[in-house]
Amino acid sequence: MTTLRDQTAIVGVGYTPFSKSSGATTLTLALRAIAAALEDAGLTPADVDGLATFRVGDSVLPMVVAQSLGIRDLRFHLDLFGGGSISHAMVGQAALALHAGVADVVVCYRALNARSGFRMGGTGRPLVDAVETPFQAPYGYFTPPQQFAMEARAHMARYGTQPEHLGQIAVQQRAFARDNERAMMRGPMTLGDYLAARFVVEPFRLFDCCLETDGAVALVLTRAERARDLRQVPVLIRGAAWGGGQNLYANQVEDPTRTAAADMAPRLYAMAGVGPSDFDLAELYDCFTYSVLVQLEDYGFCAKGEGGPFVASGAAARGGSIPVNTHGGFLSEGYVHGLNHVAEAVSQLRHTAGERQVEGAELALSTAQPGYVAGSTAALVLQRGA
Amino acid sequence: MIDELPEPTPDLDSQPFWDGLAAGELRLQCCTRCGTLRWPARAICDRCASFDAEWVACSGRGVVSSWIRTHQVFAPAFRDRVPYVVVRIALEERPGIRMIGGWQGGRDPVVGEAVVARFAPRPGGSVVLDWAPDSDEAGAAKSNASGAPTAD
Repeated sequence: MTTLRDQTAIVGVGYTPFSKSSGATTLTLALRAIAAALEDAGLTPADVDGLATFRVGDSVLPMVVAQSLGIRDLRFHLDLFGGGSISHAMVGQAALALHAGVADVVVCYRALNARSGFRMGGTGRPLVDAVETPFQAPYGYFTPPQQFAMEARAHMARYGTQPEHLGQIAVQQRAFARDNERAMMRGPMTLGDYLAARFVVEPFRLFDCCLETDGAVALVLTRAERARDLRQVPVLIRGAAWGGGQNLYANQVEDPTRTAAADMAPRLYAMAGVGPSDFDLAELYDCFTYSVLVQLEDYGFCAKGEGGPFVASGAAARGGSIPVNTHGGFLSEGYVHGLNHVAEAVSQLRHTAGERQVEGAELALSTAQPGYVAGSTAALVLQRGA
Repeated sequence: MIDELPEPTPDLDSQPFWDGLAAGELRLQCCTRCGTLRWPARAICDRCASFDAEWVACSGRGVVSSWIRTHQVFAPAFRDRVPYVVVRIALEERPGIRMIGGWQGGRDPVVGEAVVARFAPRPGGSVVLDWAPDSDEAGAAKSNASGAPTAD
């Protein structure tokens, strides 16, 4: 059996601007990001024979995108239903298709009007059709901020995690965003600003919650041998893993402060032949501050329960031992459902991240939502290629 | 848009659960082969894969696993209700079973405290599941002696 390790690469990255009101359909956003990613890679729509996306009923069908691009024979396509827990699984599955020879160039994209259209934070939208909804909605519990606040409280009660720990995550990521021209939130933020902000869902204050963003990101993938002949320094997919499945209603979850990522990380690291101390940076899914904290533990950057003190030490900040969310993350750059995390890791590994560049970055971790809500998660280990 | 307070929406799997609440009982599915409780209702046992199950009345006791207080008005139905508390309860009989519910404590919940089910009728005739502090000290002592679930 051959392994997927280092067999495929990300060779192009494309963005639309991030805003609260794009004034464009998700089809238009997808096409703009894909065109930018292909330009970045030095390829054209005629080179594309695979498309992958994921949606929660809020975006354009990949077949419509294929038709718009004039692709006559789409050899590989993925149209996954779900949230940020499958963002990185989509990329991993595209890599599988490339490695198997099913397609030669696959574009992964996510396009959404998560502020002006289907609001990702849940305000003003209809109830989602999930098995748990009937057991939650009657109590007024039906949005992501509520679900993650519930997890954060359990962690605080068990391990003594403090609001200031969560606040440090918001503040440290904002410091990166100040040097990111794409970021929606670039103003200065102090811990005092964080603590003074209104509660959204206790224990979460305003800046615990990510942005709701209109925008799109696209990634161009191909096999490693072809990547070497293209325009950009290739970023190899050194490891990809996804898994889990036990959410709140699995009945078997003994410790909710431990996510599916804790089970998956050893498998990911074994495939890539790396450990947490090998990474130069990590782009961790930050729908809320707490998801960063729990992933620092579950991906092994610190011990279980020590995420708060670890963050307070500055280890995950600029200049720390493992800089986290170097673009500002969902909290400050914008929310493109996991793909802007992958795109930022690519920029860092190409050494094109400008003022926020982590010097000499060779290896990055990028993660999906760690498994609350759906129960599953996914992540990529990305390596600067030769 | 959610303009009215969401009501229970029973389906073929969950109807006995909601019927139980209406009758003042917390009824869960129990595997008749291995005795494992499960919730929400589903056709197969997650321990032994048996399809054979019956509905049993549970103690209605548990501990607070976590809780939140919602301030943001996520839907018009909640405009006049914020801020409100929602709890997550780990059941005494199987702590892996966690339920979301309303809170009738009259004070903030405490993670790890013992609670009991309260069957809360709604104006429209449905009954939902709220929780309140367990003031039965003897009961609490008894459940501790028998290996009560710990907070998570």
